[in-house]
Amino acid sequence: MAIYSVGRRRVIIALLLTSALLLTLDLRGNPLIDRARDGFSEVMDPIEAATGVVTTPIVRTWRAVNDIDDLERENAELRDQLDRMVGTQASAESSIIEAQELRALFNLPSLSGIDTEVAKVIGRAANNLDQVIEIDKGSTSSIAIGMPVVNQAGLIGRVTKVNRTTSLVMLITDSRYRVAVKVLAGEGDPSPTTVATTPSGLTDDELGDAATTTTSAPSVNPDTTLPGSSPFPGGTTTTTLPPDESAPTTTVAADDSGETAAVTTTTTTTTTTTIPGSAVEKEFGALEGRGRGFPPQVRFLQDNPTIAVLEVGDLVETAGGSESLAPPGIPIGRVANRADRSGSGGPLLDVDPHADLSQLGFVRVVLYKPLSEVEQ
Amino acid sequence: MLAAFVQGPLVRIIPVGMVLLALQRTIFVELQVNGVILQVMVAFAAAAGAAGGSERGAVVGFVLGVMYDLAEGTPLGSSAVAFTVAGAVGGLLALFAADPQWWLAMIFTGLGAAAGELMTPVVRLFIGESDPFDPRLREIVPIVAVGAALMSPLLVPLARWCLRMKKAEWKVPPAGEGSTV
Repeated sequence: MAIYSVGRRRVIIALLLTSALLLTLDLRGNPLIDRARDGFSEVMDPIEAATGVVTTPIVRTWRAVNDIDDLERENAELRDQLDRMVGTQASAESSIIEAQELRALFNLPSLSGIDTEVAKVIGRAANNLDQVIEIDKGSTSSIAIGMPVVNQAGLIGRVTKVNRTTSLVMLITDSRYRVAVKVLAGEGDPSPTTVATTPSGLTDDELGDAATTTTSAPSVNPDTTLPGSSPFPGGTTTTTLPPDESAPTTTVAADDSGETAAVTTTTTTTTTTTIPGSAVEKEFGALEGRGRGFPPQVRFLQDNPTIAVLEVGDLVETAGGSESLAPPGIPIGRVANRADRSGSGGPLLDVDPHADLSQLGFVRVVLYKPLSEVEQ
Repeated sequence: MLAAFVQGPLVRIIPVGMVLLALQRTIFVELQVNGVILQVMVAFAAAAGAAGGSERGAVVGFVLGVMYDLAEGTPLGSSAVAFTVAGAVGGLLALFAADPQWWLAMIFTGLGAAAGELMTPVVRLFIGESDPFDPRLREIVPIVAVGAALMSPLLVPLARWCLRMKKAEWKVPPAGEGSTV
């Protein structure tokens, strides 16, 4: 066994100083190091691909043993979500199209007008601190540092490093991630509420035979269509079957202003009413990641109860702004928990992201430049 | 100079490091223990320290750390510092026993890996990252250490092969060691 010596200590110190020198050069930006990174990635690609092929059976066996319970539970939840979403898709799509037409009419910026680049997730951070994924598109696909990255569910992060053919994306759960957000009025309690409505033209006795109407506010925000994606439903619509299924029904639809308008009317004992979600901006703040296993948190909220009360279930989306790296209106998630602080600190809101960050396959890079850069 | 490189340990450390790096970025990302990624690169640096002493462990750690930073996109040198410390600590602990049993080597490797994993957020703090200490660090470090200890029966012989250590050197250091790497 080796013996400790002064010479040995010198070598260790020299290595640590060399590391510090490399750190300094890299943090200041050095094209030589960037080229070295690109070159090393090129060398490692075939080795990693071969390793991936060889180790796939082991990984699959591990997943089969460990993930079966989670998969079964997730499958049941997804079936439930799918059932609810199919019911709302038509109404949500029409609302979104209508909103986009209105935006176009008034020359308002719309997310659907921004180009996107679809990319495949080819790797994840191999350490326990960073929440970073690697995608297979780089500077050759017009991707630049800072661009937001989304999937069909919502925002997942932003590009932090761009190589020629690959890029690194920092996820919204990374402790270094920050983005300006706004909190919108959401469903509150996601469970549907049941309210009794009075079908027009019925007597009190007839009302006794009438079915109750289940009403829930859909969570679709027409302005939050992800760029490059088809409109997706996010709200819930509950259909109430009449007591006698052969009986005709009355359907009452609602427009964006919140006023209801009858679409079809026949004699009925049941009313199905859909109330549009009122995406009222409640508050602006900053979303910060907190690392693996912890939900992102919204800070810097004023929480003025005279304006709005922030509550569990509220929607969170990007706020945009001339300096912001993300355009406004990208959905992020829902408020899952509210923690009040003493003093003037304002509450902290834990956000449950729409996107499942542990199961990312394909993502979209939004080719967006902040307004301040575009103007220059 | 070329002959020195070919006859030196780097010619073995680099390809072995590339394979370990590929394993780290593929299989070990998937095989997480309680949500913690086992760190085979740190474990190998610590195992090299336990097998060959602090100096050799530090050199192996430095080389692996630079490779890791180049591949992962982390600031170049940040992992190199952490891995160097892992190798050096593994080697320093090995001073307690002239010819450590396999289970002692496991302990030294585990503790070296724990030191390396702990150094990572410390380095990040020094380079200006705000709040780099993961709240789960108290969970991460023991799992990484135990994982490294369990891998040590494989990694210590591999490290000896990389460092071209002959069986006699396992017990007695070669003459003039300190400039062998």
